[in-house]
Amino acid sequence: MPLPLYYFLSITAVNILLSWALYLPYRVGQLHFITVANMAISGYTAAWLVMSLNVPFAWALLAGFALGGIVGWLVSLFIGNAPTFAVVIVGFTFIFITRTVIENLKAVGGAMGIFGLPNIGGSPGAHRWTIMAILAGLLLLVGFLLHRFDHSRLGRAASAVFMDKELAASLGVDIRGLGRLLQTVSCTVAGGAGVLYGFIYKSFHLDFFTFALVGIAMTVIFVGGYATQWGTVVLAPILYGVPLLFPPSIQEWRIVIYGALLVLVLVLKPEGFITRRFVFSIESFLSGVRKKRNIL
Amino acid sequence: MQVFIAQVINGLSLGSIYVLLVTGFNLLLLVAMIIHFSYPQVVVFSMYIAWVVLRLTGDNLFLGILAGVASSIALNLVSAPLFQKVMAKRGEVDINSTMVLSMGIGMIITDVLSHSFNQGLPIAFPESLASEAPIVRVGLITIVSGQVWSLAVGIVAVAGFFLLLYRTRPGRAFRAIAEDPNGARLVGIPILRTGLYSYALSGVLGGIIAVLLAMLLGSASPGLGEQVAHKVLAVSIIAGLGNLAGGLVVGLLLGVLEAIVQGYVSGSWSNAIAFVIMLVVILVRPKGLFGTKL
Repeated sequence: MPLPLYYFLSITAVNILLSWALYLPYRVGQLHFITVANMAISGYTAAWLVMSLNVPFAWALLAGFALGGIVGWLVSLFIGNAPTFAVVIVGFTFIFITRTVIENLKAVGGAMGIFGLPNIGGSPGAHRWTIMAILAGLLLLVGFLLHRFDHSRLGRAASAVFMDKELAASLGVDIRGLGRLLQTVSCTVAGGAGVLYGFIYKSFHLDFFTFALVGIAMTVIFVGGYATQWGTVVLAPILYGVPLLFPPSIQEWRIVIYGALLVLVLVLKPEGFITRRFVFSIESFLSGVRKKRNIL
Repeated sequence: MQVFIAQVINGLSLGSIYVLLVTGFNLLLLVAMIIHFSYPQVVVFSMYIAWVVLRLTGDNLFLGILAGVASSIALNLVSAPLFQKVMAKRGEVDINSTMVLSMGIGMIITDVLSHSFNQGLPIAFPESLASEAPIVRVGLITIVSGQVWSLAVGIVAVAGFFLLLYRTRPGRAFRAIAEDPNGARLVGIPILRTGLYSYALSGVLGGIIAVLLAMLLGSASPGLGEQVAHKVLAVSIIAGLGNLAGGLVVGLLLGVLEAIVQGYVSGSWSNAIAFVIMLVVILVRPKGLFGTKL
């Protein structure tokens, strides 16, 4: 697989996973930026396990998922039902603290980061195919689970909480429990994505986990459409891929372009490009075609 | 003991800037009903504009300060229609989408600053504005002009602001909208115009803060806004969102706490400790210590 294509596909996949990790708690109106901190915590821990303790990659990846989930669950005990702005500030604070701790930890390379992670599967080619296979499997699994969630009672409960918390509570929705569940799952996904993010480049550096990453994920969700999982799938490759086609002088300004896009969409089309109604119409069209086929 | 006293003085001057920032932030929150997360980024942008004008005019302080204040007001007023449009689109006030919109504006400001000014490198303000020569020196305790100015202007600005809020007609209109927007509309208070005044007033405060920060820190970098934005929102949440008096207390406390930690803990750990304390308070009391006014 050519290197540019490998980087494009793998980073797009990580961006989709991160955006889905943010999308999930936003179903109950919570912008959970702790996901970015979790990517760093799980990623660095997995790298340390592989480099220092010679733990096989598969176990390190599983440890990354588990650590993400545990951190997410612990934090969710406090902010499962917190207002959005409190959740946002907890996320930002976590990013700051995580960055500072990693910067000062010699075991994970401090400000220099960790370099020279081993190839998974032996050769560089096998490494790329293994990473791509894991990411593809993960995308299918998380995508399927999100699809099922959106069409389940829990998904409808989340929509009710997003629209009106008090109404949802009076209908019997356990708002705190739902918030905790979504935050924990979100952090689990982010933990795994963080491990894979670093292993794509075979290195970990603090520059991978900056506020720019929060901005990119936020743009993907809000421009793509925050009400369905499909906006992310459509927008992530476009937002990451299209700037690569431009000369470096324009690529430098991509965060400004993302910010401008975010502002424009919030002002002109607040629900984003892929709305729930749009997805329903596609689904009903497809089910109509399926029904016709069955009759024929 | 001398280190402690020196750091308390440092902390009070830093805290007075936090108080001003939180006051401007809360004004927009209460009257315009927006969470202007990137308000500190607007302040840092004003610092950069003041720096450019100072360089162009051969360190003309008057023009530099004027440019800083004017750019802060202009940027606030330019963003006002965007916030109003978002709120109108949602049918009712949606405070969370105003926060996301503000983050988008913050992304643009930070990246523009890191590309267009001084090749992205930190800027340093001239000695005439940010003098490091001590006014008072007793042992380890040194007081520089920036500290005195930020504390004095901070006290005057906050006192003036509270006077305006509680002793004038526009202040009553601000408070009425903050208490009950629909009731305020019914008694004939022009909501939109009063909202615009709040953007302008927070712009004035932002310009003053920009000048004080330049005097106190002596330098600025594109990432400064993000760090301060985070602290301002944290102070506001710890105090109780929209609680002006609470913001005053917590802003000063955070400044002093940060300075004391910096005095005794080395390197970047000092910042982390302040953040951990903030995090613990927010986790334990996500709705604030003094109660939210929203």
